[in-house]
Amino acid sequence: MNQRIRDRLKEKLEERVTFDSELLEVYDHDIGEIPSIIMSMINCKPEAAIVAKSNQDVIDTLSIANEFGIAVTPRGQGSSGYGGAIPTNGGIVLDMACMNKIISINKEPLTVDVEPGIIWNNLSFELRKIGLDNSICPTSAPSSTVGGWFPKGGVGLGSMRYGSVRDVVTEIDVIDLDCKVRTYSGSDMEIYHQTCGIFGVIVRLRLKCIKAERIVPYGVLLPNTESAQSFIIKARERLKPYTIILHSSGYIRMRKQENYENGNGTQDFHALIAFEESNKDDITLKSIIDESAGKSLSKETAMEEWEDRFYPMRIKKFGPSVLVGEFYLPEKCFDRAWTEIEKDLANDTLGMEAVVVNDNKMAVLVYILDNAKSMFYQIRMAKALRPLGIALRYGGSFYTAGLWLANNSKELFGMKKYNYIVNTKKERDSKLLLNPGKIIPPKIRQIPLLNICVFMNLISKLMSPIAKISIYKNRYKSVFNEKHGE
Amino acid sequence: MTKNSKLSLFDELGLSESLDYALSTCARCGFCKPVCPTHPFGGGFEAFSPRSKIYHLKKIKDGKGELTNDWVERLYQCTTCERCVEVCQTDIPLVQIWEAARAESVKMGSGPMPAHKKFGKFVEEFDNPYGEPKAERDRWLLPDIKPSEKAEILLFGGCTCSYKMPPMLQTGAKILTRVGIPFCYAGGKEVCCSSPILRTGQIESAKRLIGSNVDLFNEMGVKKIVTPCSGCSKTLRHDYPVWAKHLGKKWDIKVVHFSEIYVDLLRQKKLKPVRELKRKVTYHDPCHLGRAQNIYDEPREILNSIPGIELIEMDFKRKDSKCCGAGGGVKANYPDMATEISNSRVKEAEETGADTLVTMCPFCQTSFTQSLKALNSPLQFAGVEELLLESLE
Ligand SMILES: Cc1cc2nc3c(=O)[nH]c(=O)nc-3n(C[C@H](O)[C@H](O)[C@H](O)COP(=O)(O)OP(=O)(O)OC[C@H]3O[C@@H](n4cnc5c(N)ncnc54)[C@H](O)[C@@H]3O)c2cc1C
Ligand code: SF4
Ligand code: SF4
Repeated sequence: MNQRIRDRLKEKLEERVTFDSELLEVYDHDIGEIPSIIMSMINCKPEAAIVAKSNQDVIDTLSIANEFGIAVTPRGQGSSGYGGAIPTNGGIVLDMACMNKIISINKEPLTVDVEPGIIWNNLSFELRKIGLDNSICPTSAPSSTVGGWFPKGGVGLGSMRYGSVRDVVTEIDVIDLDCKVRTYSGSDMEIYHQTCGIFGVIVRLRLKCIKAERIVPYGVLLPNTESAQSFIIKARERLKPYTIILHSSGYIRMRKQENYENGNGTQDFHALIAFEESNKDDITLKSIIDESAGKSLSKETAMEEWEDRFYPMRIKKFGPSVLVGEFYLPEKCFDRAWTEIEKDLANDTLGMEAVVVNDNKMAVLVYILDNAKSMFYQIRMAKALRPLGIALRYGGSFYTAGLWLANNSKELFGMKKYNYIVNTKKERDSKLLLNPGKIIPPKIRQIPLLNICVFMNLISKLMSPIAKISIYKNRYKSVFNEKHGE
Repeated sequence: MTKNSKLSLFDELGLSESLDYALSTCARCGFCKPVCPTHPFGGGFEAFSPRSKIYHLKKIKDGKGELTNDWVERLYQCTTCERCVEVCQTDIPLVQIWEAARAESVKMGSGPMPAHKKFGKFVEEFDNPYGEPKAERDRWLLPDIKPSEKAEILLFGGCTCSYKMPPMLQTGAKILTRVGIPFCYAGGKEVCCSSPILRTGQIESAKRLIGSNVDLFNEMGVKKIVTPCSGCSKTLRHDYPVWAKHLGKKWDIKVVHFSEIYVDLLRQKKLKPVRELKRKVTYHDPCHLGRAQNIYDEPREILNSIPGIELIEMDFKRKDSKCCGAGGGVKANYPDMATEISNSRVKEAEETGADTLVTMCPFCQTSFTQSLKALNSPLQFAGVEELLLESLE
C-alpha cells in the first residue's frame, strides 16, 4: 500500500486506521488452526486495519478502496472457523466490532434495530432490562457479533423454535462499493445472507426479539443412537422445546478430561432439552423419555450443562487442538449416519455435539482431538471432512462455505442462486475488492491458475485414507482448573 | 529483542510444559475480549485484547515472534483483574501468563514501565513501594491496640494499609482485641508482601521480599495470617506457597482475609451488630478478593448482618464484577486509564439508587474515593469493616 493511499486513509479515518504491522498481525486468522503452508497460499496479511465507528467510516473506507483498487475484508469478532474474515488479498481489514449500539427497540412487531458489532450476549443483557430477549443466538454469544452471523449464516440456541439467523433478521442496511446506504428486507436480503459480505458491509440489522422468559433445562440420558433419534423426533412432535442439544458420551468425557478412547466406553448420549418456562410440559416430557428408553438426569446435571452451553470448545483442554466437521443432517437419518461416522473414526478421540433446529434438521459438530504442533496434523486435517462425506450420503448438507469450503458454494446455494451470486459479483465488483476469495474461491498466490479450494479438496481426497489410519492420542491433562460455571 | 524468547519464569517454576500446553489450548473464541476493561483503550484494535496477547505469546513460545517494546507496553496495560480468566473457554491461567511475560520483559530490559521502576526502587530501599520510612511501618497502631508477643495468628499490615489507609487495619485489630483473639504483629520487620513488584514482573526483588517475610513468619511460629488487604491476601495465599517452595523454605501457614474472620465471629455470635445504620449500599467485589480468592459471600454476609443496611446489587457483580482500574500497576503508570475505568464503575454504582458504595480493598477504595470526588457523585463511600465496627455495641 503506497504512501498516497495511506495518507488518504489517515486523513479520513484518523486514529481509527493503523498500518502498524504488530497491530495487523492478529487480523490474519480466525479460530481455525490452519497450517502455515496453506496460509502462505493466500495473502492473509492486511496492510491496514480500520476500526469503524460510524457509517461514514465505512463509506470512507470503501470509497478509498474502490478508488485505489484495494481489497476490504469486513470482520466481526473473527470467531468463525470458515475463514470468512481472513483477508486473501491483503488490503484493509474493516473491524466492525466497535459499531455496537442498539439503535431502537420497536414494539409492533417486536424487533430491535442494532449496529452490526453488537455482541449477542450484550444485546440480550440490554433487552432483558425491558423484559425482552434475543430469540436465537450462536453458542459464541459471549463474543460474536450480530453482524457477523448473518453473512456467515447459521443456527444456534433457540433455532429449533425460531429458526436460523436468516429467519430472525427482517431488515438490513448495507453499504456497497458505490458507497450508498441501502435498506433491504424479505427476499432482497437473500444475496447478503451467507455470502460473507462480498456484496457490501452491513451497518444495521433489524432482528425479531421475544418476551424474556426463564429457560428451564432438563437432562436426559439416552442409551444409543436409535433412542436419541426417537427422542428428538417425538420431542419435536409433541413439545415446544426452545432448544435440544445432543452430546455423545465421548464428548461428555472429553469435557471432563477423562482419558477416553472411542469404542471402549458407553455409547450413550446426553440430551439437553430446554424450554421457555411457559412451554414446559413435565408430563409429556416424562412419557417421551420413557418411550425412548431414556432416563432423566438430575436437575443439577441439567443446569450444569445448560450453564456450559457457551463452552463447546472446552474440550480443547484435552486436545490441545481439535479438528471439526460440521454439517446439517435430517434428524430421521441421525441413527444411521452417526453409527457410520463412529465406525469410520473408530480409533480416534471423537465427540459429537448436535443442535436440533427447525426443518427437522440437526446441525452436527464432530470433534476429533488432535495437536496442531504434531507432524502429522496436516495430514490428519483431511479427517475433518470424512464425517461430512458420510452425512452427505444420508441427505445431509453443507453448513456454510466461507473461504475454506468456497468450492462447495454451488451445493450450498444451489446452482440458480450460485450463478446469480457470481453474475452479480461480476457486475457490481469486477475487481473483486469486497472480501475476495469467499464464496468464489481464491487463486493460489504461487500458482494463479489453480484455486486453493480445488487444491485442498484434491489433497484432502488423497490424504483421507492415510489420515484415517493416523491416530492422535493425548495423555496430557491440563493442570489448570475450571474457574467459570460455579 | 530476542527471538525464540522463552517465558523463563515458568521454566524457573517448572511450569514450562503446562504453559506451553495451556497456550496451545486457546480456542480463539474471543470471550476474553469484550470483558477486558483495558482493551477499549487500544482504540478498538484487536491486538489489545487478551486473545491477541495469547496469540502473540504463543508465537514467541514457538520461536516465531518477538517480545517487542510495543507488545511489552500492551502487556503492562492490564489490571490483572482476571475477568479474562473467569470467562476463558479453556481455563488458561491468563494472569499468570501476563505476569510471566512481564517478568521476561524485565529480564530483557524493556520492562517494567517507568512508574513501576520507581516503586521497585523504593521497595529496594524502604521495603515498601511508597518510599515511606521503614521505622514508621507500625505508625497505624493505636495506643489501645496491644499485639501479643507470641500468637498463632499474625496480623499482616501490608504497605497500603499500614502507611496510607490505617482505618482498615485499625478496625481489624480493634475487633480482634474486642473478642479476645490474641494476635501478633511483626511491626517494622514486616516487608512489602511483594504484590506490586510481582505483578509488574520484578521477580528478583519479589523473591527477596517473599524470602524475608517467609523467614520472619517461620521464626515467629505463625500458623495463620490475617490481613485486611485483598492484594496482600491474594499474594500470601496464592504466590507464597509457590515461591516458598521454589526458594526452599517451609510454608505451612493458612492465609485469610479479614472478611473471613468477621464472618466466623458473626456466625459464632461473638460479634453482634446492633446499631441500626440506615443506608442503602451497593457492594463492589474487588478483583483480587472475588475472582482471585473466591470471596464473594463473606462481605455480603457482613453487610446483611448489620441492622438497617439494604444491599442493592450492581448488574456486574460477583464473578462478573467490573474492575476498579487500579490493579497490576495500571494506576501508577496509566492513571488516566485507571480513572476512566473507575469512573465507569462508579456510574454503575450510582444507577443502583444506593446512597453508599462499599468495598473491602484499599486500592478500590482509593480509586473510588477519587472518582466520587471528580464526578461530584451523590454516593458516599464506606468500607465494609467500617460499617461493621460502627454497628457494634
Ligand atoms: C465457542 C464458539 C461457539 C460457536 N457457536 C456457533 C453456533 O452456535 N452457530 C454458528 O453458526 N456458529 C457458531 N460459532 C462460529 C461463529 O462464532 C459464528 O458464526 C459467529 O456468528 C461469527 O460472528 P463474528 O462476529 O465472529 O463474525 P466474523 O467471524 O468476524 O465474520 C463472519 C463473516 O461475516 C463477515 N462480516 C462480519 N461483519 C460483517 C459486516 N458488518 N458486514 C458484512 N460482513 C461482515 C466476515 O467477513 C465473515 O465473512 C461458534 C464459534 C465459537 C468459537
Ligand atoms: S486481567 Fe483484566 S485487564 Fe488484564 S487482560 Fe485480563 S481482563 Fe484484561
Ligand atoms: S477466552 Fe480463553 S480460549 Fe477464548 S480467546 Fe480468550 S484466551 Fe483464548
